[in-house]
Amino acid sequence: MGSNELKPENLVWIFGTGRGGSTWLASMMGESAGGRFWDEPLVGKLFGDLYYSGAGTVQSDWDDFVYARKYRDVWLRSIRNFVLESASVRFSGVAENDYLIVKEPNGSIGAPLLMEALPESRMIVLVRDPRDVVASNLNAREEGGWLAEQHRNAARTGDGLARRNPNAAIKRRAKRYVENVGNAKEAFESHGGHKVMIRYEDLRTDTLGTMRHLYSTLDIFVKEEDLTRMVERYAWENIPDEEKGPGKFNRKATPGGWREDLTPEQAEIVEESTAPLLEEFYPSREQGNYG
Amino acid sequence: MPVFNSRTAFEVARGIKAYLNVEAGLTRGEIPAPAKASQVSKAGAAQGPPALQARELEQEVARLKAKLASYDSGTGIGPENIVWIFCSNRSGSTWLGSMMGDIEGYEMWNEPLVGKLFGDLYYQGAEGHKDREAYILGTQHKASWLNSIQSFVLSEASARYPEAADGGYVIIKEPNGSIGAPLLSEALPESRVIYLARDPRDVVASGLDAGRQGSWQFKNTANRGWKREALADTQPDTWVRRRAQNHVRHAGKAKEAYEGHQGPKVLIRYEELRADTLGTMKRLYSTLGIPFREDELARVVEKHSWENIPEEEKGEGKFYRKATPGGWREDLTPEQAKIVENVTAPLLKELYPDGEMRA
Repeated sequence: MGSNELKPENLVWIFGTGRGGSTWLASMMGESAGGRFWDEPLVGKLFGDLYYSGAGTVQSDWDDFVYARKYRDVWLRSIRNFVLESASVRFSGVAENDYLIVKEPNGSIGAPLLMEALPESRMIVLVRDPRDVVASNLNAREEGGWLAEQHRNAARTGDGLARRNPNAAIKRRAKRYVENVGNAKEAFESHGGHKVMIRYEDLRTDTLGTMRHLYSTLDIFVKEEDLTRMVERYAWENIPDEEKGPGKFNRKATPGGWREDLTPEQAEIVEESTAPLLEEFYPSREQGNYG
Repeated sequence: MPVFNSRTAFEVARGIKAYLNVEAGLTRGEIPAPAKASQVSKAGAAQGPPALQARELEQEVARLKAKLASYDSGTGIGPENIVWIFCSNRSGSTWLGSMMGDIEGYEMWNEPLVGKLFGDLYYQGAEGHKDREAYILGTQHKASWLNSIQSFVLSEASARYPEAADGGYVIIKEPNGSIGAPLLSEALPESRVIYLARDPRDVVASGLDAGRQGSWQFKNTANRGWKREALADTQPDTWVRRRAQNHVRHAGKAKEAYEGHQGPKVLIRYEELRADTLGTMKRLYSTLGIPFREDELARVVEKHSWENIPEEEKGEGKFYRKATPGGWREDLTPEQAKIVENVTAPLLKELYPDGEMRA
C-alpha cells in the first residue's frame, strides 16, 4: 500500500472481556491478515472510561464538558482521527484490501463510542460465561499466577486483592465484566456495519464452523484451506503441555470449569452482579448446557 | 530501499488539501539485518540505527502535520491562542479565569476535563503499558498521539469559540484535569501555561468546608446522585487525607507541566494574587507575552474583586468562602494540618518554604 492511510472499513474490532478467549480468536484471525493484529491498544478504555464511568454519565448536558452532547459530531470525529492515525502509524504495511484485527477486550467499555466514530468498521462481540471469566481471572491473580507475576515485574502494588479478599476481587471483576460486555453488546445493537456476536463456548465446541459463520457474517472472504489451517494451528490441543495449566495464560479452556474453581458463594456473587447478561447469553446455565 | 515512508494528505482549509511525503532509508546496500547494540554504536553512531531514524522522522511528520493543521486559514484556533490554567481545585482558578475571560477577545473554557480524559489513563489507569508498542499512548508513537491530542483540543476549542480564531485567546481553566497537564502542554508546545499555586492547607480547608453536608459542593454532587453521605462530616481526617492526595495528583502534574513547557509560562501564587491582584495580573500577561490594556485589566480586577461579591454569596458552605491566605489555621485541627503537610510535603516545601509547618 503506497499510502499509510488505513481505511476504517478494514478495521475488525474484537470486543468482549479479558479472559474471554480474544487472544485465541485474534491469533486465528491475524493468521489470515498477514500474521498481525493490534493487541489491546486500550483506545476504548481511553475514551470510554471518562464517558461511561466518570463524569460523562452526568455532565454531557454541560456545554463546556469535553464530551458535551452539543459537540458530539466534533469529538466523535476527533476519536475517529485518533484511531485511524494511531493504526496507520503502527500498521503502515497493511495492504489496501487487507484487514487489521483490533483485539480490544479490556477497552470494550468504549465500544459504543468507537463504533459510532467508525461506523464502517466491522465488529465482533465475543461473549463468555462470566463465571468462567472471573474464575480464570482469579486464578491468574493468585500467587504465582501469570498476571500476578506480570504485576510484580511492573512493580505494581495494590493488586493483591485476589489473595487478601477473593470475594471482593470477584465482585470487582464481575463489575468490570458488566462494563465491558454490557457496552460491547450496546455497541453491537447500534452498529449499522458488519457485525457478529459469538460465544466462546461455541468457538470451543465447533471452532471451524463458528469461524466460517464469523467470516461470512462479516462479509470477509477467507479460503477454506486457510481457515482450516488457522484453526488447526491455534487449537488448544496444539499448545504444548508445559504452556498450559493452572496459573498459566492458557489455563483450562473448559466451559463450565467455574464449578470446580469457584465456591458456591463466589459463583452467586458473579451471578448476581451479571444477572441480565448471564440470563440473556446463557439462559440454560443451571444445567450447564451451552448448546 | 526505504526503511520508512509516509504519505499523508490532510485538509488545511475547506477544499484545499496538503500532501506530505516523507521517505527515508539507507542510500547504499541492502536492508540491514538487525544490528547488535555494539555494532550499531560503531557503524551507525552518526545517524543512529534505522529504527531510531524512523522514530525521529515519525516525530517530524507529526510536528509538520500539527503545524500545517494550525494554518487552517483562519477557520480554527491555533495552539498559540490557548492559555491553560493548571492547578488543583479550590486554588482560585474560577476567580483568575473569570478575570481573564472578561477581557474582550478572550473566552473562558470552563473545566472541559480534557486533561482528565488523557491524564487518568496515562498516569494512572495504564501506566505500566507505556512500553508496549500496541498501547494507544505508548512511548514509541508518542509524537503521533500528541499530535492527535493537539487536534482533539483545537477542534473542540474551535467549535466552541470560533470568534477566538481571529487573534483571540481561549483560557482553559482545568483544575480537575490537571493530572493531564504535562501531556497537554507537550501536545501544544506553543500554548501558554499558567501554573496557579496555593497553600495546600488552605486548599484542603476550603475543600473540607465545601464537602460538608449542606454546602454548595455537597448539594451539587448530591443532585447528580454521586453522594449519599458527607465523608467530610463523618470521617473528616480520612477526607482531609484524600483531599490532600488529590491536591498532589493535580498540582503536582501542573508543576511538572510548568517546568517542562517550552512555550510562554508563568507561575503565580494565589496569595500574591490576593495581596496585589493588579500587579500580579500585569506580571502574568507580560510573562506570557500577551499584550494588555492597563485600564481593561484594572476594570476586570475591580469587577471580580472579593469585595464586590455580594455578602449573601460569601461565607461558610458557599462557593466564595473566605479568600484568606493562612485561614487554614482556624479551619483545620492540628492533626489535620499535619496530615496535609505530610502528604503534600515536597510541593509545600518548594512553593511555601517560609510557611509555618506543624510536621
